[in-house]
Amino acid sequence: MKQGKKREIISRMNSFPSMSGIAAKVLKLLDDPDASADQVEQLLKQDPSLTANLLKLTNSAYFGIPSKVGSVRHAIAMLGWKRLSKLVMAACVSAITDREIPGYDLQPGVLWQHSVAVSVTAEGLMRELKVAESDEIFTAALLHDLGKLILGGFVEEELDEIEKAAARGIPFQMAEQEVLGTDHAEIGALMLESWSFPPKLVSAVRWHHDPDSAPETNPMTDIVHVANVLCLMIGIGIGVEGLHYEPSVAATKRLGIKPTQLELIASRTLEWAKELADAV
Amino acid sequence: MESMKQIVQVGDMKVGVKGDEIVTHALGSCLGLMIYDPVAHVGGMLHAMLPLSKINPEKAAANPYMFVDKGVPVLFKEVYALGGQKGRLVVKAAGCGSPLGKNEMFKIGERNYTVLKKLLWKNGVLLKAEEVGGSISRTVYFDISSGRVTIRNGRQERAL
Repeated sequence: MKQGKKREIISRMNSFPSMSGIAAKVLKLLDDPDASADQVEQLLKQDPSLTANLLKLTNSAYFGIPSKVGSVRHAIAMLGWKRLSKLVMAACVSAITDREIPGYDLQPGVLWQHSVAVSVTAEGLMRELKVAESDEIFTAALLHDLGKLILGGFVEEELDEIEKAAARGIPFQMAEQEVLGTDHAEIGALMLESWSFPPKLVSAVRWHHDPDSAPETNPMTDIVHVANVLCLMIGIGIGVEGLHYEPSVAATKRLGIKPTQLELIASRTLEWAKELADAV
Repeated sequence: MESMKQIVQVGDMKVGVKGDEIVTHALGSCLGLMIYDPVAHVGGMLHAMLPLSKINPEKAAANPYMFVDKGVPVLFKEVYALGGQKGRLVVKAAGCGSPLGKNEMFKIGERNYTVLKKLLWKNGVLLKAEEVGGSISRTVYFDISSGRVTIRNGRQERAL
């Protein structure tokens, strides 16, 4: 029965509207060393709402650009190639996470705030821990809960069963697995895989609640894991499951993080997240 | 006077008088502290995030309410300023939850609670009621006319 449920969830996933076609093309261009700013600008012109969100994010206090950016060309000049691709992604995510997520009891906009908060927390941890800088961490953090968009409806139908399973003391994503045959991390990873995202990023999303079960551990997965729990603890994007997840002892050891560092990042997270989340 | 519903954000504090309602959402590991003078009908609520301000003194100077050690004394002072008296105050605590498992680093909720208890003990103040710990998210409603505190998590609601 569980397998049947999982098949149903995956078929729902396959009919989920993919990210804006323009966004996918822009991201591909930004990966291409021969692409020109002109090409990016021409492409973005075809999606005005994506462009509008992109410019709003570029002008957010988080990036601290002193003059107001009013055009894609100016944004490319101020942000550079790499950061522009992060912001294209953020503009897409804001468009799909801004609604209510049933099942998880997340009000409109809350998943967006949570996604942004985990992203800026992950970047903060990366700097604080002096982990090799990676732009993928921001994107992985931004997309870690993508699966909730699909799974929410199914969680809503089976909430009593899932909560009963979780009440035995297992983490919420394991309770989802037990009742639905899959969980929001797995579904999110499958979606990103089908959109041809890089394997390391897919893995960070897949194992964001259980980094020790990943076939290969890596700092990106560990950082997204820690950033996610921290943001839930301070109430950003906390839903029906509360804090019913288990932070890995091994992951914090691998990262070499100290309690004071975790609290320092927590004290800054709210401000960073607000700067970016409120822009759109 | 017109009654008001006030929302306390994370790292914030609000006080109110008779007729007001004070609400805070999404208490995870944060501390929610409610104090009430049943004679003067004044009260206040703090939503503090971290135990000790020494972690980020600059932030604490800008916003004492983010930290239990700085926020609690200011909450009491603000309620005294509205006519509250120490000997009459009814003090209740909520929140201070933790995720599952044994990772001590993430027990910020427990550390918030410990710092609160020490502060109250040093000042001779007792907690009248508390609902702390566990892995749930709590919303707290505080009715300043009656002093009634209600906690909601998911579909469940109860008086504190």
